[in-house]
Amino acid sequence: MKASTRLRTPALLGVLILVSIACGGTGGGGGEGETYTLGVSNTLVGNGWREQMICAIKAEALASGVVDEVVVVNENADTTGQIGHIENLISQGVDAIIINPTDREGLNSVIEEAIAQGIVVVAVDQAVTAEGAYVVTNDQEEYGYLGAKWLFEQIGGEGNVVEMRGIDGVPADTDRHEGFMRALEEFPGINVSQETFTGWDPTVGAQQALDIISAGDVDGIWTSGIDYTVVEQFQTANADLVPIVGADNNGFIAQLLEVDGLEGAAVTNPPAIGGVGAAVAIAALKGENPDQVVTLTPEVFDHTEESDLNSLYDPEQQVGWSTYVEIAPWTNYEAAQVSECAGPGE
Amino acid sequence: MTVATVESGWARSWRKNVRRHGWTLGVWLLLVGLMVAYAALLPRFGAFQITSIAKNSLPLVYLAIAQAVIVIAGGIDLAAGAILVLANAVAARLMEGQTFPVTLAIAVLVIVMATVLNGIVGWIITVSRVPDIVVTLATLFIFSGVALLVLPSPGGGTSEGFRALFTGSTSGTGSNFVPPLLSMAVPLALVAWWMRRTETGLSLYATGSNRVAAYLSGVSTGRAKVVAYAIGGAFGALGGLAALAITGSGESRLATASGFTLRAVAAIVLGGVALTGGIGSVVGAAAAGIVLFTLSPFLSALGVDPNTAQMIQGVLIVVVMMIAGIVELRRQRAL
Repeated sequence: MKASTRLRTPALLGVLILVSIACGGTGGGGGEGETYTLGVSNTLVGNGWREQMICAIKAEALASGVVDEVVVVNENADTTGQIGHIENLISQGVDAIIINPTDREGLNSVIEEAIAQGIVVVAVDQAVTAEGAYVVTNDQEEYGYLGAKWLFEQIGGEGNVVEMRGIDGVPADTDRHEGFMRALEEFPGINVSQETFTGWDPTVGAQQALDIISAGDVDGIWTSGIDYTVVEQFQTANADLVPIVGADNNGFIAQLLEVDGLEGAAVTNPPAIGGVGAAVAIAALKGENPDQVVTLTPEVFDHTEESDLNSLYDPEQQVGWSTYVEIAPWTNYEAAQVSECAGPGE
Repeated sequence: MTVATVESGWARSWRKNVRRHGWTLGVWLLLVGLMVAYAALLPRFGAFQITSIAKNSLPLVYLAIAQAVIVIAGGIDLAAGAILVLANAVAARLMEGQTFPVTLAIAVLVIVMATVLNGIVGWIITVSRVPDIVVTLATLFIFSGVALLVLPSPGGGTSEGFRALFTGSTSGTGSNFVPPLLSMAVPLALVAWWMRRTETGLSLYATGSNRVAAYLSGVSTGRAKVVAYAIGGAFGALGGLAALAITGSGESRLATASGFTLRAVAAIVLGGVALTGGIGSVVGAAAAGIVLFTLSPFLSALGVDPNTAQMIQGVLIVVVMMIAGIVELRRQRAL
């Protein structure tokens, strides 16, 4: 009896020490001040939306107070390259990996490998099908549907529209297209006269818009977020404006507020989804068991007086910025922290 | 007397060898140094990390070898990345749902097709006398376009065995580094031996170094170029197959093609292949391919801002070239 008690105390102590070492991870400190390292993989560099997504992740990490470092792998890459990113982050010993995936299935085996090594994996913006991964997205199908429906109603359910998509094969693009097609089925009088892929690149979108304007005979344009450059092309070409659907880009919101005769709608697709993803990752690390799937439903703000466009506009920010950053109940940061774009220790 | 002559002969040949292969040696030392530094930065470095680097650098290494062979023979192939993408697309489309033996047969078929196709490109360049850079710029767009026709959006597939062949694991991610290292070393050793030890291989160096002189000394320069482009095609296809094994599905984007082409050119320059032709080796180019690949995870582990990482890669190439230039200048002055 006595002997076993005497043995139990050191054994318990040993276990406690082991557990605290194990929990400390790369953060170093165990116990109360437990901190984490977040890894981020982004494969589209120089894109305003993606950059803001990363800023939102950093801001949320800082605001949470429990993250001591955010390691960002930000490099143009295809699926092969992103597998390299994730393996690199695993090697660096991060506690959670937040990715904006290039492919719905192609990353699954490396994601499952990360999860097997005890790392929390969160896919933001676009979904993955890997088992055990958290998926935090804007509802892209609804994004396509709501915007297209608004457009088709605006032009009276009849006419030629152009669908300006993003990157072929990327999950978000495929989902939006599905939503677009769902709306199209409800409006038999609408004809899709042209479909383009902008690659979410403003310069490419501008050239395509110019071609569309030159070809004429278009009654409405739906864009996958390459919006303000399209309006600019109409202005440059001095052509009659047609209804245009875009996203919550600061530049497009400004046009909806200021350009005479512009009819259009901004469908929200907040890059702050990155902040939500970081919040989910941190909650999972703390053992709070967040929902495996978080989906934000887009909102439509059109040019009419009723919609509160001003709440989306920030004259201080650049054209590609989204002011729709505070997303309850997930994010804990102040809007200014996202603008500052500084993570812990920066 | 005699002993002294023998010794100085030895020393001379040793010195000659170091001079001849100095750059290649230097690049391999750079690679080893980089690996040690990278390993020191990581909390753990083991089979998983070695496998990761070995398999993920495969496509670039194959492409660097392809470009090295062509540039040594006096050409340059801007479509090298497009061949990678095309082979990737065709293989992904054909291999989907097939068994391992069938996917192996398809892989051989794809390599043969790419060899013939790029051999024809080399033949067109030789016969038409249109500069390499113009013809291959055209084939860059043609091959990328065909790849998009074959595989309009990412998809297709391959067998688990085929994935293990290049990556060491049926899921494409794992800790078995033997297959990826072997699939890098075996083709490299073959082509390196072939270029230094066979008549045709040496004719590539002769053609690249001075086409007229080579022609006048009886080298079939046209044939050398066609062969160089054909081998380049084969290694481009290997790159596409390796990429397919890593992801398990195919992708055909022009951005991938042009990006790979440029990185392969960067790799051969760093690897000591002269863009003017005739100088360098595939062994150096292959090592430089791994260096260029590893640089980005290394800089990330170092905590370098990702936006400056690419700039550092460029600076590294310039610095290496300048050091080489200074060494060369000093040697010429010493003579």
